[in-house]
Amino acid sequence: MIKYRQELSFKEALTVILYTLLFNTVIAIVLTYFLKPFWENFVFSQCIGILICLCMLMIFRFITTENPLLWLLTILSGLLVGSAGGFILGAFLTEKNPLVYIRQYHEFIRIMSLGLIFGTIITYFFLSRVRISQAEDRIQEEKIKRLTSEKKTVESHLKFLQAQIEPHFLFNTLSNILGLLDTDLTKAKLMLTDFTHYLRLSLAKTRESTTTLSQEIDMIKAYIEIFKARMGERLKYKFEIQDHIGELPFPPMIIQPLVENAIKHGIEPKVEGGEIIISAKKDQDFLRICITDTGLGFIEQNNNGIGLTNIRERLNSLYDDKANFEVMENVPCGTTVKIEVPIVTD
Amino acid sequence: MSQIKAIIADDEKELRTYLKAQLADVWNDLIICGEAKNGPEALNLVDTYQPDIAFLDIRMPGFSGMEVAEKVADRCRIVFVTAHDQYAIKAFENEAVDYILKPVTRDRLKITVTRLKEQIEVSSVPPSDLPAIIERLMAELKANQKTDYLQWIRVSSRDGIRLIPTDEISYFKASDKYTLVVTGDGESLIKKPIKELYRELNPDVFWQIHRGTLVNVNFIDKVSRSLSGRLVLKLKSPPETLTVSRTYKHLFKQM
Repeated sequence: MIKYRQELSFKEALTVILYTLLFNTVIAIVLTYFLKPFWENFVFSQCIGILICLCMLMIFRFITTENPLLWLLTILSGLLVGSAGGFILGAFLTEKNPLVYIRQYHEFIRIMSLGLIFGTIITYFFLSRVRISQAEDRIQEEKIKRLTSEKKTVESHLKFLQAQIEPHFLFNTLSNILGLLDTDLTKAKLMLTDFTHYLRLSLAKTRESTTTLSQEIDMIKAYIEIFKARMGERLKYKFEIQDHIGELPFPPMIIQPLVENAIKHGIEPKVEGGEIIISAKKDQDFLRICITDTGLGFIEQNNNGIGLTNIRERLNSLYDDKANFEVMENVPCGTTVKIEVPIVTD
Repeated sequence: MSQIKAIIADDEKELRTYLKAQLADVWNDLIICGEAKNGPEALNLVDTYQPDIAFLDIRMPGFSGMEVAEKVADRCRIVFVTAHDQYAIKAFENEAVDYILKPVTRDRLKITVTRLKEQIEVSSVPPSDLPAIIERLMAELKANQKTDYLQWIRVSSRDGIRLIPTDEISYFKASDKYTLVVTGDGESLIKKPIKELYRELNPDVFWQIHRGTLVNVNFIDKVSRSLSGRLVLKLKSPPETLTVSRTYKHLFKQM
């Protein structure tokens, strides 16, 4: 559907007027071939053309109707008013009494109909130009949207690849294992197993675009276990996953960065530590996932949510804006991130 | 020479134990008089035991290793311990501050220990320029960190306090006693006035275009001039237009 109301900028309006002047001149030249003095044709055609043009500009600026019939009527009356006005103005300028034309009414009718015919043609011309440029704009917009979303996917892939082997996490974990080798072999083995498990799952997952919820939760368990071994009593965690929803599809690398955020920026920097709760449940046609921590809140940290914006954008593009993503303050402390996605059934 | 004392501060127990074991290996007459698992504890230990050396993990709860160092640099020598802090390591190298990387290797630790022994032999008190060096480091690292501009807006919603990242806010508009917060997918009201927001938000991102309007420049799609000569901003989302008042016209002069 075409938008009837056009927000023309000053520059655009000026271009339209300039084009109109040009057309008017061309019309006057063509008419001279059939009718006498050129200057008279020129004056009438300019007067009528400019007045029609001004009427149209006004209509585009101020008429907001969405009804095509009403709009067509407005355009038609604009043409009539412009032609008649232009005719009267032209008569004055050529120093003829417009009343003379009322007696020679065939002359009046001829000028009016010429005005209407050319006015219609030129208005149609401008309208189609607007329509074409609107269509082009829309195509361009679509293209930009597609390219941006492709770029974002690639970027997030890279970012997540980096995140999994985030150096601080990697080296701290390796130091821990190294330390444990001297003091507690069993624990060292366990931690190494978790670490391997986590790496294998997360590296395999970045190559797939859809995975199941249970795969994601599995990886997160391994990830949290590593932190648990490192942080001891300071980190508590709980999984509250509803039964029988593990096989639902869920995109990879959505929950993991949120859990990472909660630990790294929420619980790790807090002296007394905290708890992280990961819950998932089915609610009619939606899958609701909550990641809650009792660490330092985002406000306190003034931590910017770069990773969060990325997650929101990815959810929006994966679920056609039907996903919901919210960051809330947890009571009494910490942060809750809520995700709600429609359940896709093939 | 009296016995040399040191403290170890790291939030992870295994890492403290490991460093302690390594130190015992390469410097067996060093006395580890205390272990701290966070910033405040580390400060306490320094106050209680007056150690000659403090091994400080950079990322610790409470105060960071850097913050602890700032407070104790006039009393003891500092060795920073870190798994990976790109900026910090670069800064340490520039200022010749001692640091070791986790996982700590025996060979690397030996170099640090030799250096510390030499320094302590020359003078039992830490170099007098150490506090100044730490201060410079702090300043340099702060410059690399995120600035303190407002990153989140608290908005009350049906089920609690929602947090909206300022990056996602299209514009703020004064409306009676409240301020309207507009994002691509909705509007909310907050109590914080425009004036206060303007002071706290990043001025490179949020521009004042009207007495009561702050716009996120990343959300501007097009700037055009209306027939009446006013500047009109077309936004990417929501698809709305905002008018620039004459007072703030100059902001768009170069565009």
